[in-house]
Amino acid sequence: MSAEPALLFENVTVRYERDAAPALAGVTLSLAAGERAALVGLNGSGKTTLLMAAVGLVGYEGAIRVCGTRVARSTLAEVRERAGFLFHAPEDQLLFPEALEDAAFGLLRRGATRAQAYRKAGLLLDELGVGRLARKPLARLSHGEKQRVALAGVLALRPPLLLLDEPSAGLDPPGRRALAHILDRLEAAMLVATHDLEFAGLLCRRFIALDGGRIAYDGPDAAAVKRLWRMEE
Amino acid sequence: MAHFAHDLWGRGRGPAAALTPQGRILAGALLVAACMTAPAGSAAGTAFIAAVTLAWAVACGIPRRAAGSFALLGLAMFLPYFLLVPLLAMERPDAAAQAFPASAAGAPWDVFLHGMAGMFLAAATASSLGPSDLRRGLLALRVPGAVTAIVVQVLHQTGELLDETRRLAAACAVRGAAGRGKAATAVLAALPRVWLPRIIGRAERVAAAMELRGYAETDLRVFGAPPLGAADAAVVIALAAVLAIAAALRLGWIR
Repeated sequence: MSAEPALLFENVTVRYERDAAPALAGVTLSLAAGERAALVGLNGSGKTTLLMAAVGLVGYEGAIRVCGTRVARSTLAEVRERAGFLFHAPEDQLLFPEALEDAAFGLLRRGATRAQAYRKAGLLLDELGVGRLARKPLARLSHGEKQRVALAGVLALRPPLLLLDEPSAGLDPPGRRALAHILDRLEAAMLVATHDLEFAGLLCRRFIALDGGRIAYDGPDAAAVKRLWRMEE
Repeated sequence: MAHFAHDLWGRGRGPAAALTPQGRILAGALLVAACMTAPAGSAAGTAFIAAVTLAWAVACGIPRRAAGSFALLGLAMFLPYFLLVPLLAMERPDAAAQAFPASAAGAPWDVFLHGMAGMFLAAATASSLGPSDLRRGLLALRVPGAVTAIVVQVLHQTGELLDETRRLAAACAVRGAAGRGKAATAVLAALPRVWLPRIIGRAERVAAAMELRGYAETDLRVFGAPPLGAADAAVVIALAAVLAIAAALRLGWIR
């Protein structure tokens, strides 16, 4: 394992409007290479903002590093090569009309031959259980199927860091378990933003709870998160 | 809510599918050119336009439902021109106008026939092309990669926006906006403030995804651009003959 953290936040603050309360306020966290953590919190607590800041999609104060590279305008391409990002809504992420093309796009971009890219993307779609849909128009897939295709596009590039925004949202229970199983086999570091503590428990041993843009809990105890959410007395 | 115009892409099941994607695009374009060239004012011209349009629609296997929807749309768009017939007749107090309404209907008939033909030919061509075919065809025809990327993405995102609109329409229906009264009016009045921010939010997220995935800086030729082949040349030669017939009709060499 590399000694360099896969993701490092140092006193990071994000503001969408100058006079409004920050969406992230002084967040400091570190995710080791290969480590997995669930990023939990109520709606509006800053989970998606944190993930977006990590790949330079929102401006921030403080310091963010991805695999040792500081996230800055000049390093965005490098950072984004190293961090795979799964959007909450797969419809936002899918840019091609067919699953196979979408999953192969990143590989083609990086110089793979068409045969290599399509073969690898096809295998990945098979592995994710949507291989039979490889040539079907994406518009006709269900939400869960689209989610898997979007994930295939991310995983095809084998990034050392995965930032997943609600990956289990809209999946049925077998789909959630299958997804957790697939992610569980990967060596990449993962930060999984989710409300789904059961899914998070299948995958992560670390829970980072955000509340109002600040880290309210960071540790191994899912029950502590539930207490925070008042799900348990 | 049926989105016939968008759901049409790639749904055709006709023999035209045997042509290359670029062959289908070329054929569609040349047939539109032929029909626009042929005169609508003569029986031979009318028969030519109708036959070419019908033949291409059958060759592309445009779904019947889509064809019906386009027929209705065409009637709604082009029939109102016939309302101008009385005005046109008054404008021409010559002998020809005495034969009202046949002569005065010439111009609206011209618009109607050419408009319907153009629309049907475009729809039939679209039905023969899946979105991936469209990309392959445009790249093979040496359309710049950036233009192709924009066209393909517009098509892709239109489908998503139509889905968004469908969900909003369903929400309006179940929440009473489809009925009458104050509640419906209030919902409808609020619609632009609800729908527009949703669409803007979506556009921002798609732009973020494009940025992250490097869509803008990648030439779609990475997917491969098939070279123009003998089959495409054959299509062009065959359809050049159709275009020549249309020109002959226009010039009065064929009656």
